[in-house]
Amino acid sequence: MKYTSLFALFSVFFVLACQDDDYNPTRSENITTTIQFRAEYDNTNLAIQSATYAYPTGAELKATLFQYYISDLVLLAADGSEVGLSDIELIRYEDATADNIEERTYDVPSGDYVGLRFGLGVKPDLNATDPSNFAANDPLNENEFWNANARYVFAKIEANADLENDGTFDTGLSYHMGSNDLYTTITFAGNFNIDGDGDPQLVITADMLKALSDGTNTFDIADPDKQRVHGGNQAVATEIWGRLVSQFELSLQ
Amino acid sequence: MIKPKVLGFWFWAILLCLTGCQPALPAPVAVSEPEHFAKILYPEDNPTTLEGLALGKQLFYDPILSVDSTISCSSCHLPELAFTDGRSVSVGINGRIGKRNSPGLANIGYLHQTLFWDGRADDLETQALHPVADPNEMGGSWPLLISKLRRNENYWPAFQRTFGLIEIRELTPDHVGKALAQFQRSLISSDSKYDRVERGEADFTEVEKLGHAIFFDLADEPDPEFHGLPTGECAHCHIPPHFTNQRFFNNGLDEALLLEDFKDIGRALVTGSVYDNGTFRTPGLRNVALTAPYMHDGRFNTLKEVISHYNSGGQYAENRNANIFKLGLSPDQEGALVAFLHTLTDSSFVNNADYHQ
Repeated sequence: MKYTSLFALFSVFFVLACQDDDYNPTRSENITTTIQFRAEYDNTNLAIQSATYAYPTGAELKATLFQYYISDLVLLAADGSEVGLSDIELIRYEDATADNIEERTYDVPSGDYVGLRFGLGVKPDLNATDPSNFAANDPLNENEFWNANARYVFAKIEANADLENDGTFDTGLSYHMGSNDLYTTITFAGNFNIDGDGDPQLVITADMLKALSDGTNTFDIADPDKQRVHGGNQAVATEIWGRLVSQFELSLQ
Repeated sequence: MIKPKVLGFWFWAILLCLTGCQPALPAPVAVSEPEHFAKILYPEDNPTTLEGLALGKQLFYDPILSVDSTISCSSCHLPELAFTDGRSVSVGINGRIGKRNSPGLANIGYLHQTLFWDGRADDLETQALHPVADPNEMGGSWPLLISKLRRNENYWPAFQRTFGLIEIRELTPDHVGKALAQFQRSLISSDSKYDRVERGEADFTEVEKLGHAIFFDLADEPDPEFHGLPTGECAHCHIPPHFTNQRFFNNGLDEALLLEDFKDIGRALVTGSVYDNGTFRTPGLRNVALTAPYMHDGRFNTLKEVISHYNSGGQYAENRNANIFKLGLSPDQEGALVAFLHTLTDSSFVNNADYHQ
């Protein structure tokens, strides 16, 4: 009897010891999924500083900063439910040594999906919050607010322009946008399945030029009153913001 | 057959001996932090302890760190100057002239991104390792210093107590960096006039209020009180509460028709990217009135010169930050900005006995 008990105990230890340390019976329900945020300029990969870009008015630009916040990133499931991925993300391109792709990784339940949604900007309840309430390395404490009081800069586009085509990029362009009125929800439709086997790559693309020019209407960067948009002239920002909102694309690759 | 009583005696005796031979655990210290700051991000492997704080402070003020025992951290970081040295660029052993202006250390523990003007250190622990072997600073070598510290009758026991070391060979440069980082994380400034105004405990003078409005671009705000006032564009980079966004910019100090023309390439020394030439880390402005001269090379002796530079729009380079342009400030408005910057002086910080030798 004594030996039988010992054998049983040993067997239990043996079986436990042989199990994969990472074994997790719920893992099959969640798939680690990466979403790419891609930045472009006129449908080409955005290159900070290193590329010279043509602007529709004939000027040339060197991009120095393109960034935006998104809030409440969710996947829309085929059964009508929503899968929340993130409350807030700051997508920033400012490094000449980096590529034009920012990635964020989430655990996503396997299943069928019919779309994706996010709010462009910082949603009103977070926009009313003091940055110091968040951890020092939180996206909301990335020093992207207007002043000592909370109210975040939702998006920034900065560049240096050569307006005279003399080879000097001596006109700074600085467009900072953000207010509760500007906060906009963007929804994409698209059917895809996530099950860990050949899942599509979700790519959200934003084109810096398309925020400034839609091909018909072009923001006049030669007008000194339109070379910077900061806190006060948000009426001017609305024109850029409207185009920024409408040019986002989701692709399944 | 050993009697149970005897067995019990030996069990407890051995246990007592084993625990008694272990070094005492260092006592954790919760450094007091102001409510209106996001908390310091402490590294998991270097929490502040009573022993570490004391050791870090002792090391900070001890010239033993330099090869000829003439230069300590405090030689370039004097508490009465908000931990700067009043020189254009730092001076090391044998009067050797350094390359860069000594940065202030107020609230340095809150800066969780890279350190130094060019961002060559990832954190305070590794930052502290640089000056020891820099020929223009302490001029020594880590093997030599570690050898000295291991043999030192005060330091070895202190390192033992702080980090639970047993064997003398366990002492490494990492322990020196960690101790210095613990002390530097305690250097917190949060009681300037600016802070008191923010807390509703004081009011700006009219001139300070004007400077505050220019600094924070209040002319852009919906409130019409400051409409028509020029904007200073300062807070794009110098964002409270620490008045830095910890990132790297060309603020128009030097003309560079080609990016290769910069004499001090700054951040590019670390990244290797020509597009970072002439960019430097945004310094925090707390106690800035005490930290003259200014900029990475100390070229401006006064805050007035600094403001005049920004008011001018700076010099051309294609990577000059887009928020650097002619501001159109009048002399009175320039003076108001200087007055506002003086409200960032925190006398309780520079006089804090805990920070002094």
